[in-house]
Amino acid sequence: MEIYLPVAEMSVYWLVMIGLGLGVGFLSGMFGVGGGFLMTPLLVFSGIPSTVAVATTLSHVTASSVSGALAQWRKNAVDFTMAGVMLGGGVVGTVLGVWLFAHLRRQGQMDLIVSLTYVIMLGSIGTIMLRESLTTLTAYRSGQAPSSRPVNHVWIHRLPWKMRFRQSRLYISVIPPVVLGFFVGALGAIMGIGGGFIIVPAMIYLLRMPTNVVMGTSLVQIVALTAITTVLQATSNYSVDIVLALLLVIGGVVGAQMGVRAGAKLRGEQLRLLLAIVVLTVCLGLLWGLIAPPGDVYSLTLGVA
Amino acid sequence: MKRLVLTAALMMVLTGAARGEDLVSGISQDIIEITSNYTGTDIVVFGAIERPRAAQGRAIAVVVRGPSTLLTVRRRDRVAGVWVNRDSAKFDGMPSYYYLASTEPVDRLAPPRVLTRHGIGAEYLQPAAVGSHHDARPFREAALRHLKQDGLYKEAPGTIDFLSETLFRTRIPVPGEVARGQYNVEVYLLRDGEVVSAQSTPLFIDQTGIERRLFNLAHNAPLAYGLICVFMAMLLGWISSVLFRRPA
Repeated sequence: MEIYLPVAEMSVYWLVMIGLGLGVGFLSGMFGVGGGFLMTPLLVFSGIPSTVAVATTLSHVTASSVSGALAQWRKNAVDFTMAGVMLGGGVVGTVLGVWLFAHLRRQGQMDLIVSLTYVIMLGSIGTIMLRESLTTLTAYRSGQAPSSRPVNHVWIHRLPWKMRFRQSRLYISVIPPVVLGFFVGALGAIMGIGGGFIIVPAMIYLLRMPTNVVMGTSLVQIVALTAITTVLQATSNYSVDIVLALLLVIGGVVGAQMGVRAGAKLRGEQLRLLLAIVVLTVCLGLLWGLIAPPGDVYSLTLGVA
Repeated sequence: MKRLVLTAALMMVLTGAARGEDLVSGISQDIIEITSNYTGTDIVVFGAIERPRAAQGRAIAVVVRGPSTLLTVRRRDRVAGVWVNRDSAKFDGMPSYYYLASTEPVDRLAPPRVLTRHGIGAEYLQPAAVGSHHDARPFREAALRHLKQDGLYKEAPGTIDFLSETLFRTRIPVPGEVARGQYNVEVYLLRDGEVVSAQSTPLFIDQTGIERRLFNLAHNAPLAYGLICVFMAMLLGWISSVLFRRPA
C-alpha cells in the first residue's frame, strides 16, 4: 500500500494521496480554483517536505485546471485576451517568486512568510466574499433584484493603455490585469498555488468581469502559469516529485470533473458563500498555528539549509 | 541463517592473528536498495571474539552512522503575538542517522573521554563545526531530542544476543526515511572501559531501478523532467475531460 517517492525520498500511502487529489480536485472543479491553497498545507501536514509539497502541488493544479478549463471552454466562457495579458505579468512574478523561495528558505523564515501570506490573503478575500454573497442571498430571499452593477472603481478607468476585452465586454487599462498576474505568479511560486482564490475575486470585484467568464478565464491562466512554474521549480530547486504528482493528478482530474457537475447545480453567490467558508476555515487553522504556543520552540532542519 | 553466521565466525576465528583479545565482524548485506515499495528493512550485524578472556568487564557496542549532514536548529520566540524563528545554531558533520546497540547502557560502557573519542552514544557525538552566536547547548539538546523523536538517532542497550561464549549478533532496523549514501557499521570490543578492538564495515543505501532513473532525470535533465511532469498533468486532465464529456 506504500509507494516510495524518488525526489521526496520517503514512502507514502498511495491511496491517501489519490484521495487527497480527489477531494481537493472536487473543490477546484466546483469553484474554478486550483485548490493549491488546500493541497500544499495538507501535503505538509502528511509529512511531505514543504519544498516538495509546494513544487509538486502545482502539477495537481495544472491537471485539475486543464479539465476544468476545457469544460469551461466548451461553454465558450473563456476570455483568452485577458488570460494572455495576465500571463505576461505572471511569468515575471513567477521568476521573482522562485528566487525569493530559495532566499527565504536559507533565512529559515519560509514557513512564517508562507503562513502569514496565507492568513492575510485568505482572511481578507474570504471576508469580502462572505459579506458579498450573504448580501446577495438576502436580497434574493427578500424578493428584490440584486443590485448587479456595483460601484465602478474610478481610478481603474483613469489608467492608460486601455484595451478591449471582447469576451468580458470590458474596455480597461492593461495595468490592473498585468499587476494582478504578476502578484499571483510570485505568490504561486512561494505558496504552491495557482492563485485562483485570488484571481477569481479580483476579476469579479476589481476588474468587474462578468461572472460567467471569470471561472474559465482564471482556469486557463492558471494552467499556463502553473505549467511554467513547475518547469522553473524543477530546474532551479529540483523539488518536483513526479510519482507524487502522478498520484495527486489521477485523483485530481476525476475529482475536478465531479466538481464541475456539482458546481453547475448551484448559483454563483451560493458557490461564493461555500468557497468563502472553505477559505476562512483554512485561514483560521493557519492563524491558530501562528499564535498558538508551539509544543517545542526548537525546530530542526537536516541537510544544506 | 544461524548456521551461516556460525560458519563465517568460525572461519574468521581460524584465520585470525595470534595475539590478544580481538574482534571480527560482518553484516548480513552491504547494500540496501531502495525500490518503490521500500519502507525500511533490518540488517544483521554479527561478530566473534577471538582468544576471549573473562566475560566479566567485557562489553560490545555496535554503531551505525549515516552520511554526515548539517543540522540547523532554530528557536521560535513570540514577537507581537506571533511565533517567529529568531536564534539558530548550526552543527556540521553530524551523522544523519545514528544507531547504537550495546550490551550495557551507554554510561556503563566506558568513561565519557572514551565515548567521546569514538563517538559512542548520541550524547557523545561531536560536531565538526558549531555555528552559533550564543550558548549552543540548549540547541544541541533540542537537536538530539528531535532526532530521537524522528527515529533517526536511537540507542538500544541490551540488544546484543550472544549465541555462544564468543559469538554474538544484533538486528538493526533501518527506517524507511533515511538519507542515501555510505553508512558505517562499527563494532567495538571494550574491556574495563577501554576500546581493545574495533572494526568498521561500509554499508551503502541507494535507490535502484525506476526510482534511481527518475531521481537522476530530475537532477541531470531537470528541464525535460519538468516538461514531462507538465505534459503528464495536461494529458491526464484532457483525458478525464474527454471521458467525462459523454453524459454518464
